Amino acid sequence: MTATARIGVDVGGTFTDFVLHDPARNLVATGKRLTTPDDPSEAIVGGIARLLEETGLPPGALHSVVHGTTLVTNTIIERTGCKVGLLTTEGFRDSIEIGKETRYDLYDLFLEAPPTLVPRHLRLEVPGRLDIHGEELKPLDEAAVRRNADALVAEGVEAIAIGFMHAWRDARHEKRAAEIVRAAHPGIALTLSSAVAPEIREFERISTACANAYVQPRMLRYLDRLEARLATLGVTGALYVMLSGGGIASVQEAKDFPIRLIESGPAAGAMAASWLARQAGLEHVVSYDMGGTTAKMCLIENGAPDRKFEFEAGRVRRFQKGSGLPLKVSVVDMIEIGAGGGSIARVEEGSGLMKVGPRSAGAKPGPICYGRGGTEPTVTDSDLVLGRLDPAYFLGGEMALDLDAVKRAVTDRLATALHVTPDDAALGIRRIVDETMAAATRMHLAEKGRDPRRYTLIAFGGAGPVHACELARLLKMQRVVVPLGAGVASALGFLVAPPATDLVRSLVGRLERLDWGKVAALYAEMAEEARTLLTGAGADPATIAFRPAADMRYVGQGFEIPVPLPTMTPTAADLPAIRESFLAAYRERFGRALEDLPVEALTWRLAAAAPGRDIDMKGANVVEGRVAERGTRRALFETAGWQDCAVIDRYALAPGATFAGPALVEERESTCAVPPGATVTVDAFRNLVIDLPTPQEATT
Amino acid sequence: MPDPDAFDPISLEIHWSRLISIADEAATGLLRTAFSTIVRESNDFATVLMDSNGDSVSENTGGIASFSCILPKTTKTFLERFPAETWRPGDCVITNDPWLATGHLPDFTAVTPIFAKGVLVGFAGSISHSPDVGGSLWSADCRELFEEGIRIPPSRLYREGKRNDDLVEVLLSNVRVPRQVMGDLEAQVVANQVCAAGVAEFLADTGLPNLQGLSTALSKRTDAAMRRAIAALPDGTWRSVIEADGFDEAITRIACEVTIRGDTMHIDYAGTSPQVDRGINCVMNYTHAYSVYPVKCALDPFTPRNEGSYRAIAVAAPEGSILNPRFPAPCSARQLTGHLLAGAIYKALAPVMPDRIIAECGGAPTMRALFSGMDREGDRFSQVLFASGGMGASPHRDGLPTTAFPTNVGAGSIEAYESVAPLVVWKKQLLPDSGGAGKFRGGLGQEVEIEVRAPEAVRLSLLSDRRDHPAQGVLGGGPGAASVIELADGTRPHPKSRTTVATGARLRLHYAGGGGYGDPAERDPAALSEDIRNGYVTPEGAARDYGGRHDRG
Repeated sequence: MTATARIGVDVGGTFTDFVLHDPARNLVATGKRLTTPDDPSEAIVGGIARLLEETGLPPGALHSVVHGTTLVTNTIIERTGCKVGLLTTEGFRDSIEIGKETRYDLYDLFLEAPPTLVPRHLRLEVPGRLDIHGEELKPLDEAAVRRNADALVAEGVEAIAIGFMHAWRDARHEKRAAEIVRAAHPGIALTLSSAVAPEIREFERISTACANAYVQPRMLRYLDRLEARLATLGVTGALYVMLSGGGIASVQEAKDFPIRLIESGPAAGAMAASWLARQAGLEHVVSYDMGGTTAKMCLIENGAPDRKFEFEAGRVRRFQKGSGLPLKVSVVDMIEIGAGGGSIARVEEGSGLMKVGPRSAGAKPGPICYGRGGTEPTVTDSDLVLGRLDPAYFLGGEMALDLDAVKRAVTDRLATALHVTPDDAALGIRRIVDETMAAATRMHLAEKGRDPRRYTLIAFGGAGPVHACELARLLKMQRVVVPLGAGVASALGFLVAPPATDLVRSLVGRLERLDWGKVAALYAEMAEEARTLLTGAGADPATIAFRPAADMRYVGQGFEIPVPLPTMTPTAADLPAIRESFLAAYRERFGRALEDLPVEALTWRLAAAAPGRDIDMKGANVVEGRVAERGTRRALFETAGWQDCAVIDRYALAPGATFAGPALVEERESTCAVPPGATVTVDAFRNLVIDLPTPQEATT
Repeated sequence: MPDPDAFDPISLEIHWSRLISIADEAATGLLRTAFSTIVRESNDFATVLMDSNGDSVSENTGGIASFSCILPKTTKTFLERFPAETWRPGDCVITNDPWLATGHLPDFTAVTPIFAKGVLVGFAGSISHSPDVGGSLWSADCRELFEEGIRIPPSRLYREGKRNDDLVEVLLSNVRVPRQVMGDLEAQVVANQVCAAGVAEFLADTGLPNLQGLSTALSKRTDAAMRRAIAALPDGTWRSVIEADGFDEAITRIACEVTIRGDTMHIDYAGTSPQVDRGINCVMNYTHAYSVYPVKCALDPFTPRNEGSYRAIAVAAPEGSILNPRFPAPCSARQLTGHLLAGAIYKALAPVMPDRIIAECGGAPTMRALFSGMDREGDRFSQVLFASGGMGASPHRDGLPTTAFPTNVGAGSIEAYESVAPLVVWKKQLLPDSGGAGKFRGGLGQEVEIEVRAPEAVRLSLLSDRRDHPAQGVLGGGPGAASVIELADGTRPHPKSRTTVATGARLRLHYAGGGGYGDPAERDPAALSEDIRNGYVTPEGAARDYGGRHDRG
């Protein structure tokens, strides 16, 4: 028997989610268990064993396990990484501490800077300097490298990062220093800035090297243990990981560059939404994933998420840009805002206005309605008051919700202070959180020069389908798509993502003065590296597609934009086409471009991907739950008032079914609220496709 | 006009956040289309949405706080020159007049009317630091405004969508990089259009006929929030005097008197130095903006800003003083004076609200070194090195190292800097012992060493202070280290002048440290030991400033 079944595993903060696909039987099955924070591999292996048992598969029938983890991001947030030493260029010991020299909050006199991952006494300097062209201004002091490495090891560091000035341009000093350190201390984990992020800008590059070193020993131990446990279980298939950019990679890449897993989990959701968009034939999509604490939005054009090449980790204030550590890693470009089911509503002292979030009641104590000690009204509480949720049938009836306690708190804490009715206060929570999400989405699209009206919203996550239609209305979107299994949709991303990686090199120059032979050589080098990496991730080298791009700007500008390149082997003859490509990218983003200013390139990128897998959801045998038929329930809409809504069992809906709002479509982990005037069709993949009334007919 | 009291607190919140997000979208439009690095890398811009009176309704979240405070005033002067009924869709009025706008020529203010259903409902405004305005580049040593660049009085850049080509030609004939200057002005026009379109859509969505009722309701909220914070302080008058280097013998003396009466605050600078014939004069608009901003930070940091935020605060400075100079005083480097005001106000108020203020900042005023000349390819370059001194310590923690306050201009990468200028930076490092001693230590300044590697000598313009007047501590805290600018041969160029630097020369800059907070004797010994271990404080410095009571172990 050929091993073809695959399992995706998403290790989250609270739960570890599993999804299995067995193409032989076209079977999709899911599982969930509590995460085991001390050793996440325990829950993983336990969950896999159970899923295999439930689906009757022997461990040997597993082709592969694809894995996403929050371990890297949590290690940085909780500052539980190892003791790292940094070897850096003389005069630049403090570049990771000095940073960008800005205050992330203009009005807070007492703000706190994100602490560096390497304290100053473990940052040691080495004489030696290259210039912007890679020419040596001062030779590397090899004795100083040895002496300082010895000193760091004597201090008890577990890993060493090496970050020298202009190593993005020429890595020879870093490489030589690495040889010296390895010779003297063969056991120590070593990260070179030129290897992990060969990009110009020392603060970001060296920070990335330090972060990689900081998480590496822990990830090595974890991945080794997981491989061993899977082997013990009898799994002979390969273990892969999900990178932050949405590509599948080998365990070796994860061990070498664990920092590339920083957004491993969230990337899966975007990959799942991309796959849904491809399947449903949607070209312009905003994916919207709303859970207990946050909402994440991601732009998906032509079936692929936008990506970006920097990410901020370990923020002092979670939703405040600039309050974290900048990393140069390829990530799916999504926004994350403090708007979730647990977001807390309050009356602000200064202005006397109502605010919702970003503070969250989290899972503990959670919303008031959970009855676990929560006292402050949350978004979930308002959804309950408004009839969006069924007090008797939350989480498939596993949890009864306390509606009376919620009503009391909404009255006492909000309605009275605001001089509005309790219904209006509850509706206000929903209106404010929806507006917050809409504003963030508008801004995200505005930064890319896009108009939300052209987009379809794909909604998932526990709270996503509850709020999706309202969010779409605020954004003037016409259509909302809600996949089956709001809690499962995200994990499918592990199974449909392609083996993929992003490589980067830097070479700065005006287009007309660039040495194109050098550029072509960089691409040849990157393509070779990509082939090795993707083969390791299970790809057939012959199927790898390459997309070259460069970060360019007008000379003198401080900001680059990504520009697709027509070829991986550019010559001077391609110059007009490359220039035109820059102008086109510039126009697309900003609506205009200056024709005759000189243009320069800084960073050269290569995106390499093999084809992703597909899962045929038409006729898929989905192992699923059941909800009871409940007739009708009253729900409050903004202008239509209280409406009797049909309560519909999501699992009973067959492809082709149609109905009109107002309606509440219930499944185990979520409820989709369909407003009056909207029409719903169930498509061939069992997605709910909701067409919203145009503003003139809107009655919500 | 709809009754301002008709808005419930939920709708107000929703409308307000939508209007702030419209100002933010305008800022995004500006930021992404601007050409100048100074806008992009240092956030030197602002966008403001105003009602039909020119009162601010919302402001972008991340821009320069003082700009958004000034823009409505500039708009009102535009309305005096161009009465409301004369504005047409597609107009855009600009100026860079220091007295009408932001205090020096490099900043352009652009204002566009917003129409809904054919009726003027408000104004979209933006301010941005231009890549060039001709004259003396950016320098502090001019004797008159006219040397500092071209001055454009309030003029229509666009009239009903048609560009005023005569104005454009006059302007562009007077600047060094015309395409970039025009590109940035167009970016401001784009930003204003984004804002105007957003407001029109907002009014259509909400069914509101105009912004006036909402504007009144929102400014009542912000006014009330500020008044509540002021009223919580005791009535009385508090005074401070601070000094800075000024220009040559003319030391700058800021006399500050803050009077709190009920829910109002009056800040008066009587007794402050007279204006000088060098470019460090600070016009009243700028004086006002840099007086109310620190008060807002201390008393009401979390309420968003609009016209109401500062109504409870009055600011006065004698005409002819360095804080309210008469035209045509030179004022290109007005920040060297204006940035001092936060320190003066906090010093005055320290006895009343010791838990809300910070010590003087090493980065106030900012220190700038502007290099210009030719690179090895024969291309002209002109690059400001952005870097900051240390922030003053607070009652809650040590001052942030190398961070500017009251401005928030950041620093770029040295590798990127070396990619655009024929300079090599050999060092950019925290300066040990530069933070003022205290229960909480001042933020460290930094040391930067730059070698000129251009084929020929380059021009250097310096805009700095704190050479003889380091940032003072507060409530017993010690001063931060002073600033130093010197060449490798020991010569010290004039700190507010333009000089020539030979190729091969090395310039060393010390950015000043922040002042300390509270008695150094109260510093937590563990914190001091950690400072010594990390080299923020040397053992010698500890012995000197903390009386040797640390653990030398």
